[in-house]
Amino acid sequence: MAAEEQKETATLPKLTPFDNHPTPTSDVQHETEEILLEHLPSPDATAQSPYALNKSVHIQFLAKHLIKGLNARYISQDASQPWLLFWILQAFSCMGVVLDPDNCQRAIDKILACQHPAGGFSGGPGQAAHLLTTYASVCALAIIGRPGKGGGWEEIDRKAIYDFFLSVKQKDGSFLVAHHSEVDVRGIYCLLVVATLLDILTPELIAGTPEFIASCQTYEGGFSSSSFPSYDPHNPQKILEGSPRPALGEAHGGYTFCAVASWVLLQPYIKLLPPEAPKPSIDLKALLRWLVLMQGTESELGGFRGRTNKLVDGCYSWWCGGAFGLLEALGVGGLENAKSVSEEVIDQEEEALKGLKIGGGDWVDIDDELFNSKALQEYILLAGQAPDGGLRDKPPKAPDVYHTLYCLSGLSIAQHHVFPSTSKCKKLSEAWNPFNERKIDLGVSSEDKDLNASLRREAYAAILSWDEDIARASSYAHIVGGKDNRLNATHPITNLTMTHTEGIAKWAYGL
Amino acid sequence: MSEGRATLFADREEWKDVEPLEQYENLNPLAPILYTPEYKDATGYFRAIAKSGEKSPRVLVLTEAIIRMNPGHYSAWQYRYETLLAIDAPLDVELKLMNEFAVKYLKSYQVWHHRRLLVTIMRKPIPELAFITLSLSEDSKNYHTWSYRQWLLAYFNDEEDLWAKELDFVERMLAQDIRNNSAWHHRFFVVWASGVRDGEEDRERVLKRELTQQSISLAPNNASAWNYLRGILNHNKVAFSSVAEFVKLYTVPYDASRKDIVDVDLPPPGPSADLPCAAAIEFLADVYEQEGDKDGVQRATELWKSLATEHDTIRVKYWEHRIREALESVQS
Ligand SMILES: [Zn+2]
Repeated sequence: MAAEEQKETATLPKLTPFDNHPTPTSDVQHETEEILLEHLPSPDATAQSPYALNKSVHIQFLAKHLIKGLNARYISQDASQPWLLFWILQAFSCMGVVLDPDNCQRAIDKILACQHPAGGFSGGPGQAAHLLTTYASVCALAIIGRPGKGGGWEEIDRKAIYDFFLSVKQKDGSFLVAHHSEVDVRGIYCLLVVATLLDILTPELIAGTPEFIASCQTYEGGFSSSSFPSYDPHNPQKILEGSPRPALGEAHGGYTFCAVASWVLLQPYIKLLPPEAPKPSIDLKALLRWLVLMQGTESELGGFRGRTNKLVDGCYSWWCGGAFGLLEALGVGGLENAKSVSEEVIDQEEEALKGLKIGGGDWVDIDDELFNSKALQEYILLAGQAPDGGLRDKPPKAPDVYHTLYCLSGLSIAQHHVFPSTSKCKKLSEAWNPFNERKIDLGVSSEDKDLNASLRREAYAAILSWDEDIARASSYAHIVGGKDNRLNATHPITNLTMTHTEGIAKWAYGL
Repeated sequence: MSEGRATLFADREEWKDVEPLEQYENLNPLAPILYTPEYKDATGYFRAIAKSGEKSPRVLVLTEAIIRMNPGHYSAWQYRYETLLAIDAPLDVELKLMNEFAVKYLKSYQVWHHRRLLVTIMRKPIPELAFITLSLSEDSKNYHTWSYRQWLLAYFNDEEDLWAKELDFVERMLAQDIRNNSAWHHRFFVVWASGVRDGEEDRERVLKRELTQQSISLAPNNASAWNYLRGILNHNKVAFSSVAEFVKLYTVPYDASRKDIVDVDLPPPGPSADLPCAAAIEFLADVYEQEGDKDGVQRATELWKSLATEHDTIRVKYWEHRIREALESVQS
């Protein structure tokens, strides 16, 4: 008995060290770890696999919200109605659930009721247009909409969206999320996804935006919500070069995902900048370090936190875990970025990595993520699932539709390897249709015309160049809990399935 | 008028002239929110007002009622702001209301942004510092509160009345919780990111003061302090090797028999420290890697391996990545 107990405690991971110096941070940290560790499967676990993803109860949870409605607790989300739909619909897509035509139409009608007459989509009918709900609306329409009258896509007023975007643009390259509202990088991400998917990207719209994004990177390596500009006293329209442009707020998982995804979406524009123009840059090494440090240790079951010294939370499975999926487009990690090195170096590496826990013999498997995807899946499966359906921040919290989606998206990103394929990008660029009959006149100046054409082509090719690693997709080796847990792959930038991303973009670009 | 909390707008004499607007007409929406009667009532009137464009004192009553039920209703905030300006309402009264709201709806973006709009017009930033400090005593890591404080300092940029006591404030916050990363970020913001404060022109001296050795010695396994240390060295383009002797003390198990030489630059870990400290091992590996030769990479690799197999096993893939990158960089 005593021996057995000892054996059991010995297998429990050790708690985060606190140097016998307790503070409020370490107190809640330990409380959380103790709760999380209770969710480790007991060694005598019986038939039911503790690692099963209970899809059917999650689907019921979502269907209940979709059809019967959301209880009064969700009044706090009344200004996020397109989000509520997007979270539910995309969670369905992850699990391979398709809505029947009747409900599809009801969803389309609801989203269209949120379209603001002056451009963009609002949190609900009669509310003001907002960048975040514009993203949620367009993405929801990507899932449920279709070409043709009444299908939702043709009803999107793209010129009005563009005008709304320009109306919230600031001198420092940032955007207000809504009139009289705050600036933050979530809005920029939302704007860039929409502009790219709907073919309304122009140089004028995004001039100065890369510099703004870069200025939000903090000394920790992650990104903050925004930054503070200094303007030239002689030219108040111009940012003063070399002057302080401090980040407002600390590095944060949600903002970091949005900033990095924006940075990827801005690459076609940055590459088209004239060679003599100063190229804005970010510190990728610091970013990678910060991201990997957001992953909790064994005593946190490998979930992600959103800030240094904060608690792990299921939604950061996507915001931080998902950001790893983006790094490959920036030259960090993955097969396409692997350097070709000599045999001698490979031998040395093998020698150096010998004896590492997972590294072992198959370390050459460099398409693996740079985070611990197995541990992340375990966190979501063991701690993220609420017993009665839906996923959550952490136990013992109640599930909600937001956490349901971002836990599932995080699980998907940990199961699959979706990467930007250079060959696919090239093919798409070559198959470009310069005579898009759906193209809207956005009043691009004649001097920007050529640049705009290249920008549109490259942005289109880049966003659709993401591809699933076939070798990995055809095996279930990377899926914790086995093949029944498999989810659909999600696009690392849009967080739509690849099919839905492609569908609406090809429609908008007349391809 | 009665207190009005329970009274629906539909039952109020002064709203008789307004016809509330349904949210969804001829539509049976999916994923409907099951509103309370009070919320449905107030937002119906809000949609009508937003449509008619009315800006009047009663709009302030209406938007306040909505915000109290849903502080995330950004359109109500936006419309309220426009109304305040349009009717030239006394902004100090509004700010008082915001003092109450900030405590009640601490997590809302809008509470802090609205405050920022008001203070931009009123231009009285000094009392704000005390208010923010008070709010942080309720929620010491609130993202919006901290960014509001940073905006306030940068926007009004007053050395004597705003910046002067900011470092003392940071010290107080860190004394309460040395692991509060928001406070560490604020420290970086004050000392480094937003320019050079009055009296801080001697950067070498400032850097020496900021090296955080005392903080690390107090609680060595504190990621915030290590990130700050790395951050300031990078910011000042100072090599990590400059603090290697200090860092080494934390990469080995505690040794009670060791005779420490009293040196303020090299405060040793105490007996209660959990050693070795993964952050110190990582730091030392970076020191070795920065040496840039094969020998340095070899020593760094040994440390990365110890992280991967023993001290920081969750990040095994990352440590492998670092080993590969380093080996490849000395080859080419
Ligand atoms: Zn969360």
